[in-house]
Amino acid sequence: MDVLNVDYMLGLVPVLLRYLPLTLQLAGIGMVLALILACLFAVVRVLRIPVLNQLTIVFISFFRGTPLLVQLFLFYYGLPQLVSALTVIDGITATIMGLTMHFSAYMAESIRAAIVGVDRSQTEAALSIGMTNGQLMRRIVLPQATRVALPTLMNYFIDMIKATSLAFTLGVTELMGATQKEASGSFLYFEAFIVAAIMYWIVVELLSKLQHHLEIRLNKAYSR
Amino acid sequence: MKSLIFCVSLLASALASPSLLAQEAPIRVGMSGQYFPFTFVEQDELKGFDVDVMNAIGEELGRDIQYETASFSGLFGMMESGRIDTVANQITITEERQKAYIFSEPYVYDGAQVVTKKGNTEIEGVEDLKGKTVAVNLGSNFEALLRELPYADQIDIKTYDSNLERDTALGRVDAFVMDRVSASQIIKEKPLPLELAGPTFSQITNAYPFQDTEAGRALRDDVNQALAALREKGTMTSISEKWFGTDITQP
Repeated sequence: MDVLNVDYMLGLVPVLLRYLPLTLQLAGIGMVLALILACLFAVVRVLRIPVLNQLTIVFISFFRGTPLLVQLFLFYYGLPQLVSALTVIDGITATIMGLTMHFSAYMAESIRAAIVGVDRSQTEAALSIGMTNGQLMRRIVLPQATRVALPTLMNYFIDMIKATSLAFTLGVTELMGATQKEASGSFLYFEAFIVAAIMYWIVVELLSKLQHHLEIRLNKAYSR
Repeated sequence: MKSLIFCVSLLASALASPSLLAQEAPIRVGMSGQYFPFTFVEQDELKGFDVDVMNAIGEELGRDIQYETASFSGLFGMMESGRIDTVANQITITEERQKAYIFSEPYVYDGAQVVTKKGNTEIEGVEDLKGKTVAVNLGSNFEALLRELPYADQIDIKTYDSNLERDTALGRVDAFVMDRVSASQIIKEKPLPLELAGPTFSQITNAYPFQDTEAGRALRDDVNQALAALREKGTMTSISEKWFGTDITQP
């Protein structure tokens, strides 16, 4: 009992690995959708588009101001109570919806900050040589904003991967759900959760490597 | 042309007998997969007393069983929102729950049991829980049982989603309350320093809950029929003997 049961841990690795793809899928799809949504929000906020701007502010306020677990329960258990047809939302969809909205609210603010952070003189210079608003965004503002926003966005992605562990409350057996069930069958909690922790850790470590490479690429123009 | 007529008549007959279609749909059963030895997972395989009984019911009715696992606190929400048909997780029949759901006949008879860390001489029964910290599963009936005690306000009740046995063994809480059957099983099979404290303090009966709808009532009747048949054949007793060495399916 006191000794770590290594055989059990090794046996658990292939079992838990089967659930890792679902974890990555939830976070991956969630991240892509959240990025798209966050960019839209950021643009609306920067350009202060009337009505949309106010709606966005309320949206961001709600999804930053309430726990992700509460949002997941609202989507999964709450909505079908109001409209029974919404039962078609399965656990995986509800998780992706929750992750998307929750994290887009955070990401919208860091993208907005990155855009606003690009020096105003550059905008003026670009406009003075006759660039359109679209060209200005594509060629001048967004490339610089991306560089600034990348580290924080990566942070949110990492956070999102770990947030998928809430999906089991919606009946989605991802890495964490599978670990909990295995642990309650064997009562070897420490062994089971350490295996899961190492898996999350390796994934996040690989992503950090990727982030490092991306940063080098984006910083090329600034190195001398 | 012939095949078209055949197709149409097949379709018509299928539409004319909705019961035939319903028979083929699997029964969607929710469970936590985290309640040893009733429902748990070993090497990716869902096992336990509740799995065996439900499979036997499915066989009796000629219907497939589709298991959905989720945290215990999510199971009733899944049934409420129509994603599962019933919950096979030792659901105790209570007044509260009977207001919201309909129940099958009980298939497990049990009692509430106080469990402490081995060597605890302070707590010898439910009356000793005064001034103690006691763990129960979130959403389980044991919390309500504790709150009904005359000295309930002197008990610090902590609710857990899982792992309360471990926290009791670690000494983070003084005791936990669970059904006697699974508590004895945990003590017997698992490497945790725990012991039963005193006799059981409340008779409990566990059954399958269903939504109070036409479909829910029909399914409950089917399940009751299957349960009666399985009792008759001795299947219930043999499944219980297999897991517990005693028959928990009789009062």
